[in-house]
Amino acid sequence: METGIRVLLLTAVLMTLPGCASVRNWFHHRSEVRQAKAEAKEEAAQQDAQAAAQDADATPPRVVDPEVERRKIKVPHIRSSNVEIGINDGFISIEDFGTQNAYGLTAAYHITEDFFFLGEYGRAYAGRTSFETLGGNIQLLTSAERRFTYYDISLGYNFLPGETFIGRGHALTTAFYFVGGIGATKFAGDDRFTVNFGGGYRVLPSDWLAIHIQVQDRVFRTDLLGVSKLTNNMEASLGATVFF
Amino acid sequence: MIRLPLLGLVLSLLLITAPAVSREREHLQVYITAPYLELRSGPGRGYPIFHVAERDESVQVLYRRTDWFKVRTERGVEGWAAQRDMQRTVLADGTPFKFDLGDRAGFTSHNFEMGIFAGSYSGSTLVSTYASYSLNSQLAAELSVGQFLGKYTNGVVGDLGLTHVLVPEWRLSPFLMLGTGIVHVSPKATLVQPTERTDQTAYVGGGVRFYLTRRFFLRGEYKSHMVFTKRNANEEVDEWKLGFAFFF
Repeated sequence: METGIRVLLLTAVLMTLPGCASVRNWFHHRSEVRQAKAEAKEEAAQQDAQAAAQDADATPPRVVDPEVERRKIKVPHIRSSNVEIGINDGFISIEDFGTQNAYGLTAAYHITEDFFFLGEYGRAYAGRTSFETLGGNIQLLTSAERRFTYYDISLGYNFLPGETFIGRGHALTTAFYFVGGIGATKFAGDDRFTVNFGGGYRVLPSDWLAIHIQVQDRVFRTDLLGVSKLTNNMEASLGATVFF
Repeated sequence: MIRLPLLGLVLSLLLITAPAVSREREHLQVYITAPYLELRSGPGRGYPIFHVAERDESVQVLYRRTDWFKVRTERGVEGWAAQRDMQRTVLADGTPFKFDLGDRAGFTSHNFEMGIFAGSYSGSTLVSTYASYSLNSQLAAELSVGQFLGKYTNGVVGDLGLTHVLVPEWRLSPFLMLGTGIVHVSPKATLVQPTERTDQTAYVGGGVRFYLTRRFFLRGEYKSHMVFTKRNANEEVDEWKLGFAFFF
């Protein structure tokens, strides 16, 4: 425990030392500003002196005073539209528990034209295994345990960008994409590390709205039915997202 | 059955609010100095060029998505122009149009960072994500949340702290971390008398980040957590993780 505190204090010192190093220029920075101010004052004084000398020369005033004023451009902030938030609804085939309705929320951040980060959260409700159906009055899981909840954080890659045409004069931009990531699934009273991968097709009716068709596999290890095995849970969904 | 109308409601809400987001506002006007400016139908090199604006024409910069700018020409044509081409435009006073490029200089000094990690928390598999705000090029405030999934325990962790990048100019640059957090541990139900608990933690750590390309970098780190338990002895927990991150 003591070593922990010692490490803590040592790191605190270590962190503050370079921090001090980064602020060491502040003092000089102030002195530079002071110097610049002094120079400006001197210049102004010189100009005043010159003006006074010119007045003394008594040159005739100019007939036309050129009024040239430089245009000052105020650069407005350019809005970024990289965030995509939306909802989806579809089906998930929970291994051994049948195919069920699944729905969820998605949020994505587009980093470059090719790559994006994606976060997903979804829910489904598992059905009965064939063992339960055939065995009559057997319940493997309680109603609460059948709640299937997952989330993942993934990296996506856009490929095959293109256009799809509606009629003669209307084109919508589209793209296929791959996604792959990691997350967790809460099912049968336990959280399990989950790997997800899949792909999708995105159609943009306008620059701020996108329609997605997506298929993903969510793989996790479970020993729910006696033996430890990897389960594949395929999900197909239709979604709508909005760009912000 | 109740869900579908709900879905419809949310969807229509989104549909109603979204156009409000792209409402009319003051747009920046830039002038083309290159022989022409190509406009594409979408924000990517794979989308077709459908219009060309000529030299000395002006375009209004509407908004930006990744490295593409949505612009409107004098004739009212809207399309997407590449960042590379926009670098060859000037403002009305003749000064070049400058914007955040998302390059190596951005890696050295930027405002925000986000990333995802996979790793190990006290031997359990860890999934985690973080976001940070840079106070200057060296010091950043950082928030990270994660979930660890082990054989005997599961849990969630949340950390808030400071990160100090020693030499931000280096491509492979080390950093130090210090902060505090909480950990919520829930032992698996098969164990005798499982008790969930939430404890405060403090951590010190270090790691390296490596600039890949564009806005991406790799980040690997180690944190040594001190868990302040309500029992007699405090616990020490090691956390290792490796991940992808980007800055903006």
